[in-house]
Amino acid sequence: MIETHSVTAPNPIVQVRDLDFYYGSAQALHGLNLDFPRNMVTALIGPSGCGKSTFLRCLNRMNDLVDGARVVGSICLDGTEVNTADTDIIELRRRVGMVFQKSNPFPKSIYENAIYGLRIAGIKERAVLDETVEKSLKGAALWDEVKDRLHQSALGLSGGQMQRLCIARAISVNPEVILMDEPCSALDPKSTARIEGLIGELREEYTIIIVTHNMQQAARVSDYTAFLYEGVLVEFGLTKDLFVKPKSKQTEDYITGRFG
Amino acid sequence: MDHKYLKRVRRNDRFARYIITVGGLAVIFSVILILFLIARVTFPLFQQPSVRQVAQFNLANPAASRVLATGVDEYLENLFLVGGDGSFVFYDPRSGQTVERLAAAPPAEGLRVVDAEQFGAARYNLLWNDGSLTMEQVRFRARFDAEGRRSFERSLVRLGSLGPLPEGLPQRTLARGSAEGGLVRVTLQADQRLRVDQHLVSEDLFGDQTTEHYDFYLETVAPGEKITALTMDEQGTALYAGTDQGSLLRWDLSEPGEGVLKDRLPAFTDRRAITALGLVYGDISLAVGDALGGVSTWFPVASAASGGEKRLQRIHTLIGHGSAIQSLVPSRRDKSLLSIDADGIVHLDHMTSERHLLRLGQDRPLRHLAISIRGDGLFAIDGQGRALVWRVNNPHPEVSWRTLFGKVWYENYNEPVYAWQSSSASDDFEPKLSLTPLIFGTIKGTLYAMLFAVPLALFGAIYTSQFGNDRLRGIIKPAVEIMAAIPSVIIGFLAALWFAPLLDKSVPALFLTLLLIPAFLLAAVVVWQMLRKRPFFKRIEKGHEFLLLIPVLLAAVVAAWQLGPVLEAWLFGGNFNLWLFSEAGSRYDSRNNIVIAFALGFAVIPIIFTIAEDALSNVPHSLKAASLALGASRWQTVWRVILPSASPGIFAGTMIGFGRAIGETMIVLMATGNTAIMDWSIFNGMRPLSSNIAVEIPEAPVAGTLYRVLFLSAVFLFIMTFVLNTVAEVVRQRLRKKYGRF
Repeated sequence: MIETHSVTAPNPIVQVRDLDFYYGSAQALHGLNLDFPRNMVTALIGPSGCGKSTFLRCLNRMNDLVDGARVVGSICLDGTEVNTADTDIIELRRRVGMVFQKSNPFPKSIYENAIYGLRIAGIKERAVLDETVEKSLKGAALWDEVKDRLHQSALGLSGGQMQRLCIARAISVNPEVILMDEPCSALDPKSTARIEGLIGELREEYTIIIVTHNMQQAARVSDYTAFLYEGVLVEFGLTKDLFVKPKSKQTEDYITGRFG
Repeated sequence: MDHKYLKRVRRNDRFARYIITVGGLAVIFSVILILFLIARVTFPLFQQPSVRQVAQFNLANPAASRVLATGVDEYLENLFLVGGDGSFVFYDPRSGQTVERLAAAPPAEGLRVVDAEQFGAARYNLLWNDGSLTMEQVRFRARFDAEGRRSFERSLVRLGSLGPLPEGLPQRTLARGSAEGGLVRVTLQADQRLRVDQHLVSEDLFGDQTTEHYDFYLETVAPGEKITALTMDEQGTALYAGTDQGSLLRWDLSEPGEGVLKDRLPAFTDRRAITALGLVYGDISLAVGDALGGVSTWFPVASAASGGEKRLQRIHTLIGHGSAIQSLVPSRRDKSLLSIDADGIVHLDHMTSERHLLRLGQDRPLRHLAISIRGDGLFAIDGQGRALVWRVNNPHPEVSWRTLFGKVWYENYNEPVYAWQSSSASDDFEPKLSLTPLIFGTIKGTLYAMLFAVPLALFGAIYTSQFGNDRLRGIIKPAVEIMAAIPSVIIGFLAALWFAPLLDKSVPALFLTLLLIPAFLLAAVVVWQMLRKRPFFKRIEKGHEFLLLIPVLLAAVVAAWQLGPVLEAWLFGGNFNLWLFSEAGSRYDSRNNIVIAFALGFAVIPIIFTIAEDALSNVPHSLKAASLALGASRWQTVWRVILPSASPGIFAGTMIGFGRAIGETMIVLMATGNTAIMDWSIFNGMRPLSSNIAVEIPEAPVAGTLYRVLFLSAVFLFIMTFVLNTVAEVVRQRLRKKYGRF
């Protein structure tokens, strides 16, 4: 049995209770209990296959797409239970945005990418769209680079720019929470630095939950860190505490590079 | 790394590159070679005819001083002329020597020939100076001696003779004989009256022949007008005359003892004189040569203006001459026509295609002209009594771009038409080889089939790849692919022998099905929205909802087929096909476009489905996830992200399906009815290019016009699919560029 150490975060926005996750008959997450603090960056770390990405995708119900996936337990967003059959998934996903590991802009113009969330919501007013594009691109620190070529294909951007465009796309619908699944793993150090800087700015307005493999990154950008191991939450606490004096032996082994 | 190993890798690399290059070039080369081989067969269709002079000699015989007519045999080995003394003089074209002289026996002692008229196949009317007429035919029989050398036995056969007329020597006379031995003679009197003598032979049941004689005069032209040209068909039943004031007259002589004036009309507004008349092979079109050198052809056409009565009408105008037309000599092989003008210039034109084929006599004026029965030889005598022989290479005079693609006014038609009719029972039939109705048929059949197949295949592909689960996909995809393996002959067989008869009886039911299926579907969706929250229905696994739809769709079909007859009785008086004909004025063919749309659609659905499904499934999952994570519904995701990204593949699939439908032969051969009509109605059949080739090529004589035109249609089929595929590839590349790297 793994001992778990968890602190209670202040002012939680997402509260997870007794969360189990199954792929068919295989259980991938075991009774997770975790509160994500509002307007903070929480990092999920752990070795490969520990279930961090699965856990992240539970939060906006992206696992629904997987055949045979089953989620048991409670996830509350701002006090509302979202892990029920009656939950409006579309509404949920507009409140909980997501940025993926591999940048995935649509094969459309930069402009269209930035307003995709508005398009699908049926918003057509030109002024609103223009304003959103500017606001979200500025929010993603991309505006200055692309403002002269908004109507060119997004596929012509560099990898880092594409990932920032994906962030812009995610914030264009004003979510409360942004989930980031290893957003920098495919980027060069310079682009990574920019995204990390951006995460620091974004937490003024949004709650950010980021999965990362990179311990330094977790240490740099996050306020809280959760360490998962084999589907179990081993330790959750303030990042500076967790990295400086981990309570759990496994956490210590992991962050000091003894396994992973 | 091992140096030797590296070398081997490099060598293999080079070798593979070499093989691939050679293979690719070989493919391109073979495709071009096939196209070239097919196209080569069609080249002679568009060659300008050519002539080659094979002999020239001076006519030694003094009889040549007055030549009444000329003739040539089938092989261009016997040239002959009818001299002023009434003798037939035969020449050897190689040496120019007189080889034989056959004199026609005068009907009475001491008579001499004053005129000769050539008609039909080597037949000559000789007019004697007392007004009597004999009808002679020149016959050749080839003989072979012990060494195999060929010699000819030439003879004159008298087909009939008619005695002198009471009025004496006429200005002009024509005579024709019927197969039964009857004779009809028309004589132009000095007072411009036409006298008709009919000697009609009839045979009773016992084989006894009786001959009746009728003679009568025809009302002709106004005083002061003169008949300048006369001609009559080979049966002696239709008589034509032209006057010096440009009037054309036509009589029907088919009733014994009676001549009915059918037409009397001014042929030209400027009242120019008509100088020559002739009947184009087949005896339907009248060729008219005028004093200004114009050559035109006419035939009787029924029009609303004439109250349905057939009236002569100008149909084709050929290239004009510089001076008055002297005579018109029709080809005995096709609808070609030789015309000689006063300057001795000869034109060879094809009537229907209006192609100007040849021009002769610019350097030396020609006076008399004969064309061989196969149309491949010309024998002419010029002004100085020199004989000239040409071989003509003119295999396909009836084909031009206009006859292949434009509207053509064929004989016995009331207007120009697009027509494909390659053969008929009669010998003087003119093949009608317009590719337009065939191309139309191909496009029509294909379009309707695509109209049916594309939505079905695409929606099927979208459902399977985006909405159905993986297990479902694992069943549906191979099943649809098996559809592609069904031999098209079986589809055609089922369409023609099972579906078409079924459809005959139940067109309203079919249309009702098309209405009821969406209606039932919508109703089912509404009911589903109310039921889905119930616990019982929640248990239905996601992606299996379609199972619930199957009974709904079956119910729709059953309801439509039950209600069909009721609807038919109520709206269409119990018989839709009859109603269509009487009320909507449209014919109902049993082998119609609905059958084709279904059958051809069935053949192309698997192709489009498979390619489109692959394209849709290959859209990166990350795009779908990105869209869903932004709160898009599944349908929005499909419509805004998946479909545009998969569009190159979907487009390619559709185009490949289109190409398959265009080239598909067996199904259309069996189920289109092969009627070369141009009608967009879905209740009519058509004749596509591909099945036309399959139907006709076994019947087409090698190197004949039909044969070459069929090859030409193959070239078009080739080009159509080639262009289609090229356009598809270009568009696909563009879409690919636009929608990224997937």
